[in-house]
Amino acid sequence: MMILTAIFIPAAAGLILLLGPEWKNRKRLRVFTGAALAASFLAACAVVSLSMGGNNVFTGGNSMFTGGNSMFTLFNLTTGLPVFFKVDGVGCFFAVLTGLLWVPAGIYSFAYMEHEWKEKRYYGFYLLSYAMLTGLEFSGNLITLYLFYEGMSLLTLPLVLHNGSREAIMAGLKYLFFSLAGAYMVLFGLFLLNRFGNTLSFTPGGVLDPTLTEGREGILLVGAFVMLLGFGVKAGMFPLHAWLPTAHPVAPAPASAVLSGMIVKCGVLGVIRTVYYLFGADFLRGTWVQQVWMTLILLTVLLGSMMAYREKGFKKRLAYSTVSQVSYILFGLATLQQEGFTGAFLHTAAHAMMKCGLFLVAGAVIFKTGKTRVEELSGIGRRMPVTMGCYTLLSLSLIGIPPFGGFVSKWYLGRGGVNSGLPVFDILGPAVLLVSALLTAGYLLPISIRGFLGGEETGGKTEREEAPFLMLAPILLFTALVTLLGLFPDKVTAFVTGIADVLVKEGLAG
Amino acid sequence: MKEYIALAVLWPFGGAALTWILGRKQEKAAGYARGNIMAAITVLGEVAVVLGLCFAGRLTGNAGLADPAGVFYPAGQKAGTAAIVYWQHICGGTFCFAVDGFRGLYALTAAFMWAVCTLFSFDYMAHYPHKTRYYFFLLLTLGATEGVFLSADFFTMFVFFEIMSLASYVWVAQDERKESLRAAETYLAIAVIGGLCILMGMFLLYGNDMRNLSTAGEIMLSISRQGEISRGRIAAAGLLMLAGFGAKAGSVPLHIWLPKAHPVAPAPASALLSGILTKTGVFGVMLLTLRLFWGDKRFGTLILILGLCTMLTGAVLALFSVDLKRTLACSSVSQIGFIFTGVGAAGIFSGGTAASEEGLLVSLNGGILHMINHSLIKLVLFCAAGVVFMNLHKLDLNEIRGFGRKKPLLHAVFLAGALGIAGVPLFNGYVSKSLLHESLLLLRKEWPLPWARAAEWIFICAGGCTAAYMAKLYVALFWEKNSEEAVQKTYEEKKRYMKPLSGALLGTAAALLPALGVGAGIREGVFNGESLWGALLSLLIGAGIYLLFVRPVLMKNGRYINRWKPEWDLEERVYRPLLNGLAFVLSVICRFLDNLTDWLIAGLRRSVYRDSPLPHELEEGNVLTHAAGVALDGGRNIFRREKTPRERSFEHKLAMFAEEQKENRIMIGRSLSFGLLLFCVGLVMTLVYILLI
Repeated sequence: MMILTAIFIPAAAGLILLLGPEWKNRKRLRVFTGAALAASFLAACAVVSLSMGGNNVFTGGNSMFTGGNSMFTLFNLTTGLPVFFKVDGVGCFFAVLTGLLWVPAGIYSFAYMEHEWKEKRYYGFYLLSYAMLTGLEFSGNLITLYLFYEGMSLLTLPLVLHNGSREAIMAGLKYLFFSLAGAYMVLFGLFLLNRFGNTLSFTPGGVLDPTLTEGREGILLVGAFVMLLGFGVKAGMFPLHAWLPTAHPVAPAPASAVLSGMIVKCGVLGVIRTVYYLFGADFLRGTWVQQVWMTLILLTVLLGSMMAYREKGFKKRLAYSTVSQVSYILFGLATLQQEGFTGAFLHTAAHAMMKCGLFLVAGAVIFKTGKTRVEELSGIGRRMPVTMGCYTLLSLSLIGIPPFGGFVSKWYLGRGGVNSGLPVFDILGPAVLLVSALLTAGYLLPISIRGFLGGEETGGKTEREEAPFLMLAPILLFTALVTLLGLFPDKVTAFVTGIADVLVKEGLAG
Repeated sequence: MKEYIALAVLWPFGGAALTWILGRKQEKAAGYARGNIMAAITVLGEVAVVLGLCFAGRLTGNAGLADPAGVFYPAGQKAGTAAIVYWQHICGGTFCFAVDGFRGLYALTAAFMWAVCTLFSFDYMAHYPHKTRYYFFLLLTLGATEGVFLSADFFTMFVFFEIMSLASYVWVAQDERKESLRAAETYLAIAVIGGLCILMGMFLLYGNDMRNLSTAGEIMLSISRQGEISRGRIAAAGLLMLAGFGAKAGSVPLHIWLPKAHPVAPAPASALLSGILTKTGVFGVMLLTLRLFWGDKRFGTLILILGLCTMLTGAVLALFSVDLKRTLACSSVSQIGFIFTGVGAAGIFSGGTAASEEGLLVSLNGGILHMINHSLIKLVLFCAAGVVFMNLHKLDLNEIRGFGRKKPLLHAVFLAGALGIAGVPLFNGYVSKSLLHESLLLLRKEWPLPWARAAEWIFICAGGCTAAYMAKLYVALFWEKNSEEAVQKTYEEKKRYMKPLSGALLGTAAALLPALGVGAGIREGVFNGESLWGALLSLLIGAGIYLLFVRPVLMKNGRYINRWKPEWDLEERVYRPLLNGLAFVLSVICRFLDNLTDWLIAGLRRSVYRDSPLPHELEEGNVLTHAAGVALDGGRNIFRREKTPRERSFEHKLAMFAEEQKENRIMIGRSLSFGLLLFCVGLVMTLVYILLI
């Protein structure tokens, strides 16, 4: 029941905002939204803590990792196709992460949205998307996941469209087109799985029925590949990544932050469910699907970084960077190996916070100076030292410099790649990741170098103009979290390794 | 022990933070002074902590400072191997530290050099802006450097190495001028690329066990002990890590950052860059040669050859340079080559028979001693150069010429450094160079004689070049007079050219050189005929080069001229174009791929999913006339070149005809006569029906 509450609170609040009359008092609007966000996050946390049932999750070995111990069936679409929820380790991980992003970014928008119009509509959809995400994370089977996935696509669309310019609308349409294309690919896989599987509920190790799949592996592999491509759309994987660098920069900064931070991770969640809970890692290991998938991932990693390196718009550069970084996560998942899997989760968390933080910095710069192009940012560090200081630390983390979060995840991903036992990719994969890291340094660091050291000093002291506290606090929070994650990742690592133990048993042998 | 190491590594970080907080309000002199005091407390405290650490290490049975080379022997061969200290659950791994001979020694050297440089900075930086930033990153780098030297595995080393590389970036960019930023860019690029190379090497080395990365104590990953990692993979890892560490050390062909970064960085920072930071790279190369590739002669040979190339390249570059600090930077490159020679020779002697045992000891001792000597000498020389710069704000030899006249303290300090680095007996450089020379003599047992002789001659010539370029600097600064008399007069009248504290520091540091030269010389027993003859030979060659090459060729009309064309720049000619070209090619490919889907979709919309006009939406005419007209037009266009104008095309004519017909039909259909006609037809049909029935 708690799950329903966690979905219901933000959904109801969002609907109230959308359908209700205009709010005269902006302050009350913010208080209402803030309260709704906080309540939703608390509800999600309650779900997580209830399901853990007092067990120490970090030691692993409780039912969290195997199945999930709190289930809830909402209704049946037809016989045998229930819409139901289940709380398991993966869901909990993503749910907590979502809350950690959604609430600070929401608070940030209270200050940021002063410049924009239709605040009420924005908050309404912001909350509704949160509801959809919560539902998505706690989905117990593919049908439920699919429903919330579509809902999430549609409800985040208004965030992209928000400023109503022609550019935004075209970007929104592109987003919609790609999302739907991806969703239909997933639907195809759903039909196949329904035919060949025992159930559509997520089961660690896969649901395929050996008696049914005998001799039909070919079509199933095609199905798996199509599903990976479909979820890959959200995760910005080549060849269907083109929507991401178009759609993310046009949204208001806090919306871009959660889009790049969390919404793309829904694709990752879908991939995790597909690979590890529906088809099973063993089914895909060593097949052409793994190899082609890996090739696409590595292409994306390189492509995203290179395009970001050449891109001159600040937010668009960050969006291309997301294309590249999310494929790091996919790389970890594609190794089908324990360390890679752990690395993928760590990078999910680290990237979510880093990219969210970076977009918020971009927003703060736009808010204070209105500058959106990289070359205009000379000397920005003198004007906004705290903001750009955070930017520098977050950048270092994204490059993978110790002791920040990005380093730890890269450390796991690289080792996972080397130990994956794949013929070519065991060397090529980590090498591509590192080349991309070099490019990352190339597109992130010059901004802060020129920001702090470049630019003409206008005789004497430059005026300091930091963003308001409400905007600064979330940025500081993310910087602190990323540093903490880098220094003491062991709690998270232990939690993820617990999940990985169950899902990728082969990885242990190496 | 654990707490001590934690203190040694973390204390500077804490100090850096405090310095930042206290010195933030720079406009006020009080804030500045507070920051200075905090920085001084930090560095002096660090010296005390590391000293304590070394004694504590000694008490717990670690090898003392007296036997730094013991660290690099396989476990069990030398007494007193390290007790490793672990910090678990950090940065996704475990930090391993040890305080044994070499590690302790270099941790101490680093702390000492930092103390001198920081205290000297108070004088040097007095009139520069952004002081607090400078001290903050200075202390940050100190902590990271201590971490590197105390680390006992590659993972720990890498973490601190990266922090060190990036924090020291700010030193180079400190004064924010254009050329500083460009030099800093080179430095950063080398640091990042080098770091990534090391990381890739670590990925390859890492089997399934973190212990493979250990560089101390009971575990040693060597070619002989591999099994889970293939030979090729170890070799690749070794080369990658060599690139990373070699770049930091300043080895050819990645030495490019040194001559760029040193002239623009503040002098105390240059001293640390060249005295200590390059040594972290050397430490890494030593670990590779003697831990990873123990007993692999090929790797040792590679390092030795690299070393010979580096020492010669650096020496030649230094000889040509007319910039005081650039000369010293190139000299650093050259001296790193000397150290590499020792390390490489040790690699060749390692794992061999009892006969090579002696060679191993000599070359290792020589290499390590030369590291220490070079650190101390460069401290003295760069600080002396700093004194010049802080008074004149110039570094060109022609402009600073004659500055040192009638300044006995500066004169003595610089002379001590010059004699030390040139390898004059009784000074410290002589001892280590003699040992290195001896190891090259012993190499004759391992190598064919001509090769060994060639190596030896390169060594002696590089030593000669060292003497020659130091003579060039020394003569220019302290003997020659400036070309303009007025300038010379102001130079000579400058009596208060540094604060007493700086003078005392420089004097102390310079006094260490002969002391070390005599002490270590007696201990190593290098005051014998053979070594003295080698040194003399080298100095004679140096004198020859100075008299026959520097004075006639590199000087014209009494001015030093730069005969080294700016075009002969490895970075500008090769590396930057190469990287830019690579980036360009890659970006073209990536842009193509990036747009691929968009193009596909656009293509589909133009072809299969085209929004073609529906038949009833034809502009004019109907389907029949359209089809027939298009066919006829097509037929006609086969024979004609130019396109038929719209009003003359068949399609249009037929459509017009059809329209006319349609209009006629409508007109007829609506007329009364048509109605009557139909009525008549109806009547007739009725009539026929009646008649037929």
